[in-house]
Amino acid sequence: MIKREFRVNFKSFIIWLSIILVMFLVVFLVYPYIITDDTVKNMDELMKVFPEEVLKTFNMDMESVSTAYGWLKTEGFMFVLLIVGFYSSITGGTVLLKEENDKTIEYLCSLPIKRSKIVTNKIAASLTYIISMILILGVFNYIALILSGDFDQKQFILLSITPVFIALPLFALNMFISTFMHKTRKTVGICLGMVFVFYLLNVLSELSSNVEYIKYLSVYTLADVRNVISNVAINPLNVIISLLLTALLLIGTYIRYNKKELV
Amino acid sequence: MAEEMIRLQNLKKYYGKTRGIENVSLTINKGEIYGFIGPNGAGKSTTIRTIMGLISKTGGKVYIKGKEADPNDPELKRIIGYLPGELNLYGEMTVKQLFCYHQSFYEKDFGERLLYLTEALKIDESKKIEDLSLGNLKKVGIVLALMHEPEILILDEPTSGLDPIMQNTFHDILLKEKERGVTILYSSHILSEVSNLCERIGFIKDGTIINEDYIEKIKKENYSYLKIVSNDIKRIKNGLGLKVYKEDQNGIVFINDLEPNSLVQKLAEYDIKQLFIEEIPLEDLFLNYYK
Repeated sequence: MIKREFRVNFKSFIIWLSIILVMFLVVFLVYPYIITDDTVKNMDELMKVFPEEVLKTFNMDMESVSTAYGWLKTEGFMFVLLIVGFYSSITGGTVLLKEENDKTIEYLCSLPIKRSKIVTNKIAASLTYIISMILILGVFNYIALILSGDFDQKQFILLSITPVFIALPLFALNMFISTFMHKTRKTVGICLGMVFVFYLLNVLSELSSNVEYIKYLSVYTLADVRNVISNVAINPLNVIISLLLTALLLIGTYIRYNKKELV
Repeated sequence: MAEEMIRLQNLKKYYGKTRGIENVSLTINKGEIYGFIGPNGAGKSTTIRTIMGLISKTGGKVYIKGKEADPNDPELKRIIGYLPGELNLYGEMTVKQLFCYHQSFYEKDFGERLLYLTEALKIDESKKIEDLSLGNLKKVGIVLALMHEPEILILDEPTSGLDPIMQNTFHDILLKEKERGVTILYSSHILSEVSNLCERIGFIKDGTIINEDYIEKIKKENYSYLKIVSNDIKRIKNGLGLKVYKEDQNGIVFINDLEPNSLVQKLAEYDIKQLFIEEIPLEDLFLNYYK
């Protein structure tokens, strides 16, 4: 069964991976030509115009976009977190539900396999692809940065790991939610909306200390890119919360799916 | 004593407040073909899906081979072959790939059995599932249900989409399975389809089994049409006391439940021009149940 799971999910994996790789490839190819001393000076002037809160949104208050690595740490990682978030959410939300949506679940459930094994196979295939996406992206950026110039290798490796901490809970949360649904169409909307809302909450929490508490409502807080950039370290609490949240939601998925009306 | 293979005890399924099935009880013994008959929406598929554990039951019990069934138990599914009424398979696979995929769950090679079934049903294994016609898809479903030599077959409207020749072939296969001792629950809304195949029939209406009997007994016990052409219809109607099926200018048709001798004696009292007696077709009997 797991072989089929890998096969049917491969296409979507390649599409999402291609989107982000092409975007980064273009940036790495073009960046050295558009970033000259003059443009850096002009951009720095431009940045002074923006309020600090806006710069915080893109981590531009901490880093200059004068190098490819600088761009990666600011805007680049925003795209990584969003795209990995979308992919993880949609995969989580649809991987189980697709069988019900396509009505193949009646056939699958007639086979000698426990429902929990169905869930396990789907989780295994999906997480392999999600982790592979983050890994491939990390390797791609690493090679590109080596070719582009100097960069802090430890910081980059830690940064490349951070998407895992949002990808896992987003995947698990949407998988859990999907056990209450029957149609993938509605679920995809929820998955996409959820990523936007979580990202927005995280951005809003950065804007003022008065609304900092909002960050506790967002999965994106667990990525904590700003901490990795400034302290070159991953907060172990974020790792624990991310893994714990994922585990709890996956346990919930198993429990719910075992009781779910599948047709 | 015959071995009980399937026993449903007061099986109940409600969708919120809406009734799916109510107190469905039946027993099917080893090697028996049981016809599960009812119109669309009567509760046949709900009963079957509850047995298969695709939907949870609201009440009652399902026993398979004498043990209360855990529908999530793979060992139970190993002995059951299931053909859903609405068959949906993985469209991206070829028939051959699907057969291999199916076999992988049983960790067994069903080579000879597969060859026998695909040849009997004339299946082209190179075609993609998404390109199959309804009839051919149904044939693939039949192979999937039978491939692992199950002890119990649960078939929900198995011949919809099959041409009459293929229906006969399929019924021949089922009779061979019966010889092998396979127990078959055969759901259909066409009584004539199962009347030559099943020993026993259960009629389900509005989620409840309203009658269950041996097909021979139903045929024997039930009545005949008695058509009389006479100028004395009024007197005959009052005198015979039979239920009128229909009446027009050509005569009157009664539903006759009298013994032949008694009928002849009574009819001798009247002036009858023409008399016809014919067996009530099963379809009509079936419709009678649903009136």
